[in-house]
Amino acid sequence: MKKFLSKPYRWAAVLAVLLILSFVFVLLDTFVIPKNMTEVKQREAAETAEQQNTASEQQSAAEGPSESGSETEAAVTDHSYQDKNTKITIDTVQAYDTTFYVADIRLSDASYLKTALAENSFGRNLKETTSDMAEEHQAIFAVNGDYYGFRNNGYVLRNGVLYRDTARQAGNDEALVIDGHGDFSIINENAVSADSLTNTWQVLSFGPALIKNGEIVVDSTSEVSQSKNSNPRTAIGQVSGLHYIVIVSDGRTEESAGLSLLELAQEFAERGCTVAYNLDGGGSSTMYFNGEIVNHPTDGRSSQQREVSDIVYIGNE
Amino acid sequence: MSISVMNSTEGSRQIRKTVIVYLILTAVAIAVANIYVQFGHGVRSAAMTLMFLYPLLGGALFYFTLGLIIPRISDRRNYRLFYNIYNSGIAVLTVGSLLKGILDIAGTASGYVQLFQVAGWAGAAAGLVCLIAMVFKRRELS
Repeated sequence: MKKFLSKPYRWAAVLAVLLILSFVFVLLDTFVIPKNMTEVKQREAAETAEQQNTASEQQSAAEGPSESGSETEAAVTDHSYQDKNTKITIDTVQAYDTTFYVADIRLSDASYLKTALAENSFGRNLKETTSDMAEEHQAIFAVNGDYYGFRNNGYVLRNGVLYRDTARQAGNDEALVIDGHGDFSIINENAVSADSLTNTWQVLSFGPALIKNGEIVVDSTSEVSQSKNSNPRTAIGQVSGLHYIVIVSDGRTEESAGLSLLELAQEFAERGCTVAYNLDGGGSSTMYFNGEIVNHPTDGRSSQQREVSDIVYIGNE
Repeated sequence: MSISVMNSTEGSRQIRKTVIVYLILTAVAIAVANIYVQFGHGVRSAAMTLMFLYPLLGGALFYFTLGLIIPRISDRRNYRLFYNIYNSGIAVLTVGSLLKGILDIAGTASGYVQLFQVAGWAGAAAGLVCLIAMVFKRRELS
């Protein structure tokens, strides 16, 4: 071995090969290789068995949405949907050199505000497009979620089931909590343990919070991690009980520059939101309504949907 | 011309060549960082931006200084061992910094990046230990 490596440049060659292999491995492990997969149905079945009392209380309040949903007659247009449980209107707005889409959503019960995971499984690097997940779950309306599968931390609690209780360590650790009544609140993951979140329907972990207690909490210098100021955005807010606003903006194109977090917060504030929260943006931003993609998803280079790990949707399934 | 002078010239050339290579690598690191930022929609990472410091300070400046202080260091026995180990450490640190920058810009992280940091610093430290051992052994012999 010593004799082999003593030849000129052999040590460098061996090191170069090892470095390249290690580099590629880390990239594959981070971006490509699916792992830690748990099927959603299995987890939900296990959790339901443990929480039967809580589930039955929620169900009595919900009046069995899956049964009523299938019989619900809906009035549908290109920009609106209404049945006895759900009312959605989509407006297209031009401001800040950007086109963005505002969904005004009113529900009869919080159980219609659902989330879905790619490949119906929890895990790292599991991805599908927002539209594919929406179609699989017969969503009326859907947007991309918090792309939990891109990280190893951040709370993941979906449709009442806790999948990950590891708090984010660096930077912003604000998470959006949606309780069993559909009310929004913002928590700091390092201050509130996931196990303490009782009667919680959804937890989304991206951020930052845009509005808390009716006040805008971002400013012109706020940004997500290393991102640019103007970006495609996805965000969700609550106006009042079971009344929500979802905004998805275009960006990174000549037609649409994108929104800053402050501009996004201002739009939610103008519509009366008391709580608003930023979700994954950039190339992930996608709004799906009535079988169509409403916005123009792009990462700045290609104009197509990005595969993401989860969605937030309105539906009966 | 005596052999010692020839060896000295050869040794100086070796050091000079190493410094030049590290300066080229510094330029490459700066170029890679700037190009990646362009494709990353202007998103920046300190790890990516400052990655050039490893080849610049740990490489070019270090060898330049070494060549000034101990001009015939490359003539010594076990110089090759120090050279390989130390340069490996700098290479691993630089690649690790590039990797961290890529992940930072993408908005994610990996625990494996820390392994690059640990291995890189261990390599550089081991190389310096070899260097110090070389210097002290020479002093003992003299």
